[in-house]
Amino acid sequence: MDNKYLNRGGVFSGKKRLLRHLNFVFMLGLFMTSLTTYSQTRNVSGKVTDASGEGLPGVNILEKGTLNGVATDIEGNFTISVGDEATLVFTYIGFSNQEIAVGGRTMIDIVMEEDYGQLDEIVVVGYGTQEAKDVTGSVAKITEAELVQGPIGNPLQQIAGKAAGVNINQVGSEPGQAPNIRIRGITSLSGGNDPLIVVDGIQGGLDLLNQVPPSEIASFEILKDASATAVYGSRGAAGVVIITTKNGISGTSSIEYSGTYSVDVIPDNYDILNSQQWRDLLTSRGQLSESIDFGGNTDWVDEITQNGYTQNHTVAISGGSNDFTYRSSITAILQEGIVRNSRSENYIARFRGSQSLFDDRGKFDFNLNVGIKENNFNNEGAIAAAVFQRPTDPIYTDNPISRDVGNYFIDPNVFGYVNPVAVTDEVYDNDKTNSLFASARFEYEVIDGLKPFAFGSWRREARAYEAYVSARTTIDDARNIDNREDPENQSLPVDIDDLPDGEAFKEYNYDDEKIFNIGFNYDRDFGDHSISFLGLHEYQIQSFDGGANAARGFIVDDEANIGVMQSADPNTVLPGDVSSYVNSRKLSSFLGRVNYTFKDKYILTASYRRDGSSVFGENNAWGDFYSGSAAWRIGDEEFIQNIDLISDLKLRIGYGQTGNQQGLDPYQTLRLVQPAGTAFFKGQLISNFSVFQDQNEDLRWEVKKQFNVGLDFGLFNNRLTGTVEYFNGVTSDLLFNYGVPVPPFLTDNIRANVGEVLNEGIEFSFNYVLLDQGDWFVNLGGNLTSIRTSVEDLNGQLGETPLTTDYEVWGTGGTTGVGNTNNAINHLIIGQPLGVFYVFRHAGVDDSGNQIFDDLNGDGVISNGNNENADRYIAGQPLPKVQWAFTPSVSYKKFDLNLVVRGAHGHKVYNARAANLSSLGNVAQSNVLASAESLGLEFIERTSDLFLEDGGFVRMENVTLGYNFGKVSNFIQSLRMSFTANNLFVITGYTGLDPEVEQDGDAGFGIDNGIYPRVRSFAIGLNAKF
Amino acid sequence: MKQVVKYSKLVVICVITFACTDLTEDVVGPQVSDDFYSTESGANAALADIYAEIRADYNGNGIAGGDRGWFDLQESCTDEMIIPTRSDGTWADNGIWISMYTHDWDGNQEFMLNTWNWTFRAINKANFAVETLTNLGADQAFISEAKVLRAFFYYMTMDLWGDVPFFTSTTTAVDDAPQTPRADIFDFVVKEIEENIEFLSQDKGGEYYGRINKWAALTLLLKVYMNGKVYTDNAYWTEAIATADEIINNGGFSLQADLYDNIISVDKDGDQQVTPIFGDVLNSNEVIMAIFVSDLAPLNIIGTRSLFAQHTNAILGYEAWNGACVLDDFVNLYNDSDKRKSQWLLGDFPGDVTYTANIASLTNAGLTEGARSGKFFPLGPIGGNGEHNNDFPIFRYSDVLLMKAEAILRNSGGEADARTLVDEVRNRAGLDDFSGTMTLDEILAERGRELCWEGHRRQDLIRFDEFTGTWQFKPASQTFRTLFPIPTDAINRNKTLIQNDGYN
Repeated sequence: MDNKYLNRGGVFSGKKRLLRHLNFVFMLGLFMTSLTTYSQTRNVSGKVTDASGEGLPGVNILEKGTLNGVATDIEGNFTISVGDEATLVFTYIGFSNQEIAVGGRTMIDIVMEEDYGQLDEIVVVGYGTQEAKDVTGSVAKITEAELVQGPIGNPLQQIAGKAAGVNINQVGSEPGQAPNIRIRGITSLSGGNDPLIVVDGIQGGLDLLNQVPPSEIASFEILKDASATAVYGSRGAAGVVIITTKNGISGTSSIEYSGTYSVDVIPDNYDILNSQQWRDLLTSRGQLSESIDFGGNTDWVDEITQNGYTQNHTVAISGGSNDFTYRSSITAILQEGIVRNSRSENYIARFRGSQSLFDDRGKFDFNLNVGIKENNFNNEGAIAAAVFQRPTDPIYTDNPISRDVGNYFIDPNVFGYVNPVAVTDEVYDNDKTNSLFASARFEYEVIDGLKPFAFGSWRREARAYEAYVSARTTIDDARNIDNREDPENQSLPVDIDDLPDGEAFKEYNYDDEKIFNIGFNYDRDFGDHSISFLGLHEYQIQSFDGGANAARGFIVDDEANIGVMQSADPNTVLPGDVSSYVNSRKLSSFLGRVNYTFKDKYILTASYRRDGSSVFGENNAWGDFYSGSAAWRIGDEEFIQNIDLISDLKLRIGYGQTGNQQGLDPYQTLRLVQPAGTAFFKGQLISNFSVFQDQNEDLRWEVKKQFNVGLDFGLFNNRLTGTVEYFNGVTSDLLFNYGVPVPPFLTDNIRANVGEVLNEGIEFSFNYVLLDQGDWFVNLGGNLTSIRTSVEDLNGQLGETPLTTDYEVWGTGGTTGVGNTNNAINHLIIGQPLGVFYVFRHAGVDDSGNQIFDDLNGDGVISNGNNENADRYIAGQPLPKVQWAFTPSVSYKKFDLNLVVRGAHGHKVYNARAANLSSLGNVAQSNVLASAESLGLEFIERTSDLFLEDGGFVRMENVTLGYNFGKVSNFIQSLRMSFTANNLFVITGYTGLDPEVEQDGDAGFGIDNGIYPRVRSFAIGLNAKF
Repeated sequence: MKQVVKYSKLVVICVITFACTDLTEDVVGPQVSDDFYSTESGANAALADIYAEIRADYNGNGIAGGDRGWFDLQESCTDEMIIPTRSDGTWADNGIWISMYTHDWDGNQEFMLNTWNWTFRAINKANFAVETLTNLGADQAFISEAKVLRAFFYYMTMDLWGDVPFFTSTTTAVDDAPQTPRADIFDFVVKEIEENIEFLSQDKGGEYYGRINKWAALTLLLKVYMNGKVYTDNAYWTEAIATADEIINNGGFSLQADLYDNIISVDKDGDQQVTPIFGDVLNSNEVIMAIFVSDLAPLNIIGTRSLFAQHTNAILGYEAWNGACVLDDFVNLYNDSDKRKSQWLLGDFPGDVTYTANIASLTNAGLTEGARSGKFFPLGPIGGNGEHNNDFPIFRYSDVLLMKAEAILRNSGGEADARTLVDEVRNRAGLDDFSGTMTLDEILAERGRELCWEGHRRQDLIRFDEFTGTWQFKPASQTFRTLFPIPTDAINRNKTLIQNDGYN
């Protein structure tokens, strides 16, 4: 799906850049070896360009039948000394080879013709690279030119819709909020569903992405199946996202700027009552009175929202000499939220360098990265308050309930009343994360083909959070605080204005991740046989520590108190005001992988990895995991080569096991004691300690086994290329909190390895060059994924104890009025998809506003209970059955147009926000949806399918129109401008703000409890190279 | 190829040299239990942790007014507490309060599971403490204290559910915790108290405030004997009288003379100000066992749950929850000259609040309808979660006097002796001696007046055979309601449990 045409004449595509670089390096090596056979007769020079006339650097030019060769320079120029009768072979990845007879000429200009094939590109796989044609596992590659453009806050947003089986799930647009990613669905119930992120060899979780400047990414490789991820062991069990950043090119130097600026608007609001409608409703209900109508006319949502903006600026310098290349950049990603006072600033500085040593046999790579991220959140609470507060409440009042609150209005008769404007404007919070990572890698080719290497990286995230909640926020905890005990004074009324106010919080977290690995690669060709071997030992320590402080009750109620928390009233100290934690996990692994290729047609890969993790305690620390895969390049067989229609055909098949431990918190094999508040004992308060978990000494690796079969094809000279894949995975020894009886257990669940989850699916992706004629180029790309999950088993034995975990509640909605007895929404039910909606069936509303339910078992009563219940039924699943993306692109002369359209179907969303806004019984205290009146419900007592809606959608995710000016002057090597509209429209039947809600597989997914609104944004972008 | 082998060897040697396989878990934050409890202070902590369970939090745990747990099981189904749905829709809560009041609960009711998990977690911790203390060779007084605490929790479980799982070791095998007949639990509780009582301290207050001492253990035994007929079908009235005598004769307890004085005072605006009956630290001569509550050891929310938002906002800057109140009929059980009557708050209070006696409807009560309780009127400011610092009495001397009077009557003893005991309680409340013949009905009424909202009413109504009767808004209920259902969730998890009759 490489749209290499789109940037013709403009900024190089990432793939091209990388390839040019690789070609260049390769050629340098070749050049050196050629010195020995050197014999000069004639100099031939010329320029190699692509169809648009732009010079191609790094094109290999070889005198046929010799080792004599050169590569083109950055402008595409070359000079080579050859004999008169020589034939020159021009090769360049992504282009058709050309053979040109010199025929006595001294000037030869070549226009390289692009090949639609894509299987010959280089793919980064774990701890090394492979040519795409040799890949046996399921790997998707997305190069720079294919990335989603426009206002990007997080690298994952660049690959939304770009690869089959990779779901990028953006829930709302809170500044700094990263999307979620799931690769091939959900395979674990204990939180190990986030893929491993590998950035230039440095491993980490999703938060590592905050340190990657989106515009500095050269390519993404996504390892999807177990045979591909197996080399990464346990951390890669849920898939691996490998990011390669740009590096400098020898012999060049340049400065690049890329930037976007977008305006973000709220596309949609809840249809709630305005003040007139609210008064009319209350009047018709006979409820309107002065005690609930305070005479205002306030559009709360409007009062706290604004247009947001997102800016993204990167300046990069890069270049290098023969032995040394570098690239350094500074990036700023700035977002101002659509809720006032919510913003995010992210600054990233990076340096990447590569030095060759010892006649190119040694190579030293290093990488430094510093990130500063600063967020002001402030707002999910304000959005909810703005939706729920009565439109007739005023923002300000002349008679505040106490002096400390300022002139904000509060209705003391509403439990926990929060004034949305007050909380938006007055809360102060600040979340700073300083991240840094550094890595160094050294390899040395001791003999031909054998390259031992050593790699070390250290990543640290230091987070500091501070917040101040003043009485003016109207949050009731923050005003009139006094826990002092004053027996003398206890019966006297207290003048509340004299009580201290405000709460201050400070929190620190340090996350450290140290990885060390040592190993070797050995590559060798023996005639038709080619073998490559990797041996590796890796050791990781992840450690986490931090602390939090809180203080409350200040004389002067403002955020300056964060700096002097000791000035808080000493009588207001509460348990838990001071807390800290330290924990860690260690991983040790040994890995062997072998690739064997016979005649370039038959390819085998096998790996073995022995993983040890500290979280399983002494008994089961180590696990052994194997994988094997094979590919057959059918297209290279003669009987296929004779078929003109088929240009390429490759069958891949693989099986692998990976162990998961990342979702398991440390120390669960141990019986532990932790502080548990205070106890009154021997006449005084003492710190109390409790055993808090039923330990399980037999915890062991959760094992994911996955089978994968795929067919890569190219038809019509690779004009149509694509992949069809099927995968089937079973996660066994499933880590989960299984139900156990109390008594004799201390708590009603225990972490154990018992169950099984099935996950299977098909993926289809294609790319079709529809038109390539003259100035026109039209390309159609797309993919489609269908995944089925099933909870196969959750029951079993843990020693003597039977575990009974069927009909497990896997999510509840905080719907007003629904008691704990009937509030379950998602469930884990054996034989059913993960997290199915198992709810009561709505049958209407009676005259007094009670909801009527279908008595599904006909016994005359609607049974209570969240678990197996004959009056509940399976009403749908939260995970889409089908997801697809369509990514067409068009270019005409210097214009290009790229679209990303995404869709998901076959799932439902529980609209808990609508449920909360639909109880007429609450209308005296809060606003309701305009639809609530006709619905006529007084209270909602059970979770039912009434608020379960089809979550299917089609989203116009991204439209980008670009114009490439090409080379503008000697100073401006290239210039491109673009215009992007993000989230232009959504076609959906879903009535909430946005159909994309959490689909991470954790408890309570697929429930819309209210989101930070997802914005529609319009951006301009500029790329320039000097 | 030789070189390959040579260098491969070198690499392998390197890997072996540099390989790190250290996977020990460095426990820094929490402590490993075996290490922690092998010290003396750890042993103290094991015992203290059981006490930490007795008080409450918001997950339905604990005694002292915790929401949706033991306190509500004992009170919200009786004639001395009503939590109607208010006209603003508050306390509708999917009908849980109404189902409690009208005896229409089932095993899915969250209070059941909350309380089940809480009591058995406490028993689990007590088993652990007994084992730890025994292994350490700790002072026998400590071991005995832990055992009686365990008996206290078993008493609560058999009182609520009848036949319950029984285990005394730190097991996790279901077979080791078989469902055991109520009568056997009764025997265990009695035996456990009798065997250990001699080792318990006789001191009151100070180090023993809020702890099981000899007198608390005897009062527990007295409670068990008083309800022995309910639990086992056998009467234990003579044992009850003897136990009560031991407390009365040797405990040195007395009724706090001014306990009910000046509950209400009227301020210059004509509003009533309330002094709680039970404030910060309870009188150890009257209160045999208390729960210590402070902002560091929360919580008591009985006052917060009862009072109206504007009332507490005006004096304490906190909007209380306007939930529990009491029937007019119950207030009318008090004579006007009874000092205790003024604990039921009626009339004008700060914040322009006027509480009225009559409750019009269980499902749509006016915001200020129903008398509110001043017994635990919030002492000082209310915390952010509604908690206030009033300590809570588990056992009181006046209860002992009334229990002895009841045992005497039930044991066909002297009516005059019984009447004298009741009069002691009446006199302290400012009432004259009882005129007429002392009856069981009168004792039940007196118990209500004296011990209301202290978590005794359900048990008393069952013992007096009144629990399934009728009172305002409450129809007659079936006999099986005298036991609560074993939580559905507990049965789902442990198929060997047999549900109580009537709940299947």
